[in-house]
Amino acid sequence: MRSETFTILTGVGIVILLFTGQPLLAGEYNRVMSVGDPLPRFGTFPATDNTVLSLNEVSEDVLVLAFLANHCPWVRGAEADLIKLADAMKARSVRVVGVSVNHRKEDRLPAMKEHASEFGYNFTYVFDESQDLGRKLGASRTPVFFVFDSARRLVYTGLLHNSPGQMRRNGSVHYTKGDPTEFYVKDAIEAALDGMAAPVPETRAHGCNIEYVR
Amino acid sequence: MRHALRWLSLIFAFSACTPPIPSVDDTGNDLKQVSLVPITYIDWTDKLKSFKGKIVVVDFWATWCSPCLERFPKMIGFHQSYRSRGVQFVSMCLDDPSDLEAVGTAREFLRNNRATFHNYLINEDALEAFDKFDLLGIPAVFIYDRSGILQFRLTGDDPRDQFTEADVERAIEGLLDR
Repeated sequence: MRSETFTILTGVGIVILLFTGQPLLAGEYNRVMSVGDPLPRFGTFPATDNTVLSLNEVSEDVLVLAFLANHCPWVRGAEADLIKLADAMKARSVRVVGVSVNHRKEDRLPAMKEHASEFGYNFTYVFDESQDLGRKLGASRTPVFFVFDSARRLVYTGLLHNSPGQMRRNGSVHYTKGDPTEFYVKDAIEAALDGMAAPVPETRAHGCNIEYVR
Repeated sequence: MRHALRWLSLIFAFSACTPPIPSVDDTGNDLKQVSLVPITYIDWTDKLKSFKGKIVVVDFWATWCSPCLERFPKMIGFHQSYRSRGVQFVSMCLDDPSDLEAVGTAREFLRNNRATFHNYLINEDALEAFDKFDLLGIPAVFIYDRSGILQFRLTGDDPRDQFTEADVERAIEGLLDR
């Protein structure tokens, strides 16, 4: 029975691929990582709270990586919701880590410390100066989110929710599609904590390109 | 009255220190013609067809994108170098069309940079615009050949393969040689 189901699903996948030209698997919006891939090995990263983080030694069941950039209005439009999410998850076995990769002055560690303090970041915020973390995860823009389960397999990547916010010049946040109704990162975390697959494994995150040094 | 006169003298002093914006660029193009035209994705695809016979370089940018603003003067330079060789430059602004302050800033930026080519503002929300152009982030440059076929898609989508202005120039030269 399982073999028949597998054959049918494979056939459906091939038909979809033939007709749409699009792969059925995730990884569509990430040139490096696909859902199911393991968290690569990394060194340590300096954090805004003056500690040093080794990502591979994080002990919580779920690891959330949020690629951020202080200067990016799409990040500014997401940060309040990210803070709320981190707060809602603080009693659970979830570790939220913000990552800044750009080498712009406003995105480097001294500015990150000021920003985290000013806007009340309640999660670890690390600087990826080598850009190794961003490169290995295929993080190409900010904000983009990655959720890893207890086996440190990628279970979700993409948007925080279905209505990305953009901070306008007057400081107000404009949600692209009105109030968010689908919370992809939160749902992926809860599914991972329950040992289930994320209901939506990948979405198209858009925003400010991360500037990698060539 | 004395108060008003003080303000008037301040305004006069300020305007005397500020160089006037020229009405024409270095090659005589009327800067009053620098405009930012709202366009839907569908209308853009029609517009692209009207450029058939020319190589079309589309620079995606927004006022919120710092690297886009920094790179923009290079595009102006390319436009000046290549426009007589059948290359049409287009700027495609991805600012939120409902954010009038951002749109005003975008217009001012184009005028200050003397962007005397076709400047469009995508008249869709950001999710739709990025989705329809298959973009993840900006800056990005798309280059179409003389038949309107997208030949070069220069983006930052892959951290291992970032583009520079040298890639834009190489792509244009490559298409001119065909």
